[in-house]
Amino acid sequence: MKIHGKILTHFQTCDSPVDKEGYLYKKGERNTSYQKRWFVLKGNLLFYQDRPGDRNLLGVIILEGCAVQLCESEEQFAFSLVWSGPGLRTYKLAADNQDAQEAWIKALLTANHEYLSLLVMDLEKQYRGETDRDERQTEAMKAFPNDPKVRSSTLPGPTSVRPAQSVFWSSATPPPTRHPGPVGCKTNQMLLTPATTSKPANRRSPKLWPKRNANVVPISGPAPPQGEWAVIESGLKDDFSKLHEDFGKEVRELIADWLRRRQDEEVVHEENLIDFG
Amino acid sequence: MRYNEKELVSLSRQPSERAAELGMRGPKKGDVVKRRLVKLVVNFLFYFRTDEEEPVGALLLEQCRVEREDSQTFSIVFLDEAERKYLFECDSQEQCQEWTDSIIQASYEFMRKNLIFYRTEIHRLTGKDPLEQYGISDETRFQVSSRQQLMPKDT
Repeated sequence: MKIHGKILTHFQTCDSPVDKEGYLYKKGERNTSYQKRWFVLKGNLLFYQDRPGDRNLLGVIILEGCAVQLCESEEQFAFSLVWSGPGLRTYKLAADNQDAQEAWIKALLTANHEYLSLLVMDLEKQYRGETDRDERQTEAMKAFPNDPKVRSSTLPGPTSVRPAQSVFWSSATPPPTRHPGPVGCKTNQMLLTPATTSKPANRRSPKLWPKRNANVVPISGPAPPQGEWAVIESGLKDDFSKLHEDFGKEVRELIADWLRRRQDEEVVHEENLIDFG
Repeated sequence: MRYNEKELVSLSRQPSERAAELGMRGPKKGDVVKRRLVKLVVNFLFYFRTDEEEPVGALLLEQCRVEREDSQTFSIVFLDEAERKYLFECDSQEQCQEWTDSIIQASYEFMRKNLIFYRTEIHRLTGKDPLEQYGISDETRFQVSSRQQLMPKDT
């Protein structure tokens, strides 16, 4: 399969944001010793080269479909990127110290496309809920309580944050609903069961939002959820929260594991002291 | 340049909501239009010969511009020095629009910009940083800009 390397190289060297960079040790495939490499994480791509600023890019690891795990290794502060499946490989990496190990694991766990996709959808839902609430409160304050106005269609969408290349967006309207790839099946299922969308679009637990204008009486109940939004919104916030919970759990388990190992090491040292005594 | 090819091929087999047979033409002079099964998975565009398991190639959809060439054709131009342009011929105007939208929205950088927009706006409207509840406010990935930080509003 042809990878169009020049596109990758350009992405690595251009001024798009770097999510993390630093030295890590990478276990070779043929030469099984650990080699020190400069790693650059951008989005869901992990680039590596000999030194920072090197023109020659040694390689890239596409971080989709892998698990990030602690691993057994002669190297300290090691962790691995594991793909499960016939013939798929594991990359073994090691950091200089525990803080770096922790930071890299956290960054790599959350580098995948789906994570960002779910987070954006979650925030988008919150944003639309907030602007909905704003408009309905504005309407309620006007003297037309019996005339529920349909909310205005011209939301200031992300197009107001245009990059230099204005043709990035093909239209002036806010981007249409995003359908993430890997969770496409889930979305399809939701599309088949509209009965789950009886909840109003902007329900949320009180602890997250400050109470505002508590004395305003809503006109005529919550606005009916928009067509396609209603289907997508139900349950998605739970999906990201669950994803976040899962990652948090993984990180906590890794930390507990380290602490256990440290305690084991301390016990060994004490035994040695007794032996030598 | 090395990369995890097998794992990327494995990714190309994931379910995708945007997959269709399109006419595809490469950037080089003399490249002709060929029918390819084009499949969008995360921020990669894979293209296969019909009935083949492994893709012919994979295009990373970052640092590129998607443009409408005519009613049924769109192009992807990569913003490196060569400004390589790939052409895709669709069967309908609607299909062409759907592909254009999907490719634009698949970009990681596009999603990041949206995230920053929503984060900033929600903070402006509510005085709260929506990432705080997830404990990820300080992640480099989500910063509003390299210098700016979201300051909590005075209550």
